Amino acid sequence: MSYLGIVLTSIFASNALLTYGFGSIPEFERRSSASFASALALACVNIVASALLWLIHSLVLAPLGLASLDILFFALIAVPLIKFIARVAQQGSIKQGSLLFKLGERSDDIAVGSLVYGIALLSARSGYSFPEALAASAAAGLGYWLSQFLLEAVRERLELSDLPAPFRGAPAMLLSAGLMALAFMGVDAVLVKNLVGA
Amino acid sequence: MSFQKEGFVPNPVLAGLIGICPLVVAAKSLAEGAAYGLGAALCAFLLGLLIPPARVFLPDRLQAPASLALSAALALIYGFCLEMYSSALAARLWIYLPLLAVSGLSLVALRLSSSASRSGPDGQSRLAVIAMQAAWFLVTSTCVGAARELLGLGTLTIPTTGPSLSRIAVADIAPLRILVTPAGGFILLGFLVALYRVTLRASGRKGL
Repeated sequence: MSYLGIVLTSIFASNALLTYGFGSIPEFERRSSASFASALALACVNIVASALLWLIHSLVLAPLGLASLDILFFALIAVPLIKFIARVAQQGSIKQGSLLFKLGERSDDIAVGSLVYGIALLSARSGYSFPEALAASAAAGLGYWLSQFLLEAVRERLELSDLPAPFRGAPAMLLSAGLMALAFMGVDAVLVKNLVGA
Repeated sequence: MSFQKEGFVPNPVLAGLIGICPLVVAAKSLAEGAAYGLGAALCAFLLGLLIPPARVFLPDRLQAPASLALSAALALIYGFCLEMYSSALAARLWIYLPLLAVSGLSLVALRLSSSASRSGPDGQSRLAVIAMQAAWFLVTSTCVGAARELLGLGTLTIPTTGPSLSRIAVADIAPLRILVTPAGGFILLGFLVALYRVTLRASGRKGL
């Protein structure tokens, strides 16, 4: 598949949140995930994590027949490294509100969780080459951000709506996520393949 | 007397929305729901059991990475055990087995067990809270998996040993086939969370 096909598939057909259930929907998090800093942090953290896991998985563990141990190496190497980079970014930023500071803060938050590890694992185990795995992981991060952005917009509208009490908040968001997942299912891998012609 | 003091621990999935998104995709059938729920529950309980004694001899800086590595090791061991028990089931759970290390329930167990005191502000033992949450998660995951499979496919998959799973046909028609997709999982859980709220309100209890 071409790079465009990989990117479109990772954003829509294989959306990290709505297809694989990585991460969480906006209602569950206190901090908004729909900001520009979040999108950038997601892309950066996913690229670093996927690059590390791909290298460990493909060059070290798979030739030794120990591919299933990649989770241990991810916990021991990738997560501490991402957290270290995030702290350096926070300390190196000029002021607290700067983009670099927000980037470091957000990266530190998302380093441990199913989102980053799930995307890295998918990239490493999907048979992609190294550059393809990087493109897929960055696009998966952007796909997650897109679904968060859309759900955040839905949540703002729902807050102004007169919903029955038991459906306010999380249930309404879960129903909205389900309907959005249906829409994303429409852009499947075959359609993307036909669109980009590869 | 409040229900918290009576030892009531709300359902972590339906009240606390813990680990709900991976559950939507992983628990598509009775067997998958039970296997995923059991893995998450065992990992969380063992983390709650093993981390407090390990904290005594680990330096502060190493506690977080060591806890995460322990969580990864537990998920790995559970994956190997499930592979030996039923390779078909392990294959169906695919990447959700290693992801048990960073599931919402495991992260809650890590947070609770990394606290200095053994009991919370309400006097309940942290291990008891983790155990109750783990039990709730197992029950919820199994029920969600069974409901989705029954309504979506009209069958029930039994977690049997060997390379294939045995499936019992319960109904001739599958009225809500959408339920076995992630979209259907989100929609079903949305209704279940609302129903749980109504039930809690009717019994005068509060969620998390």
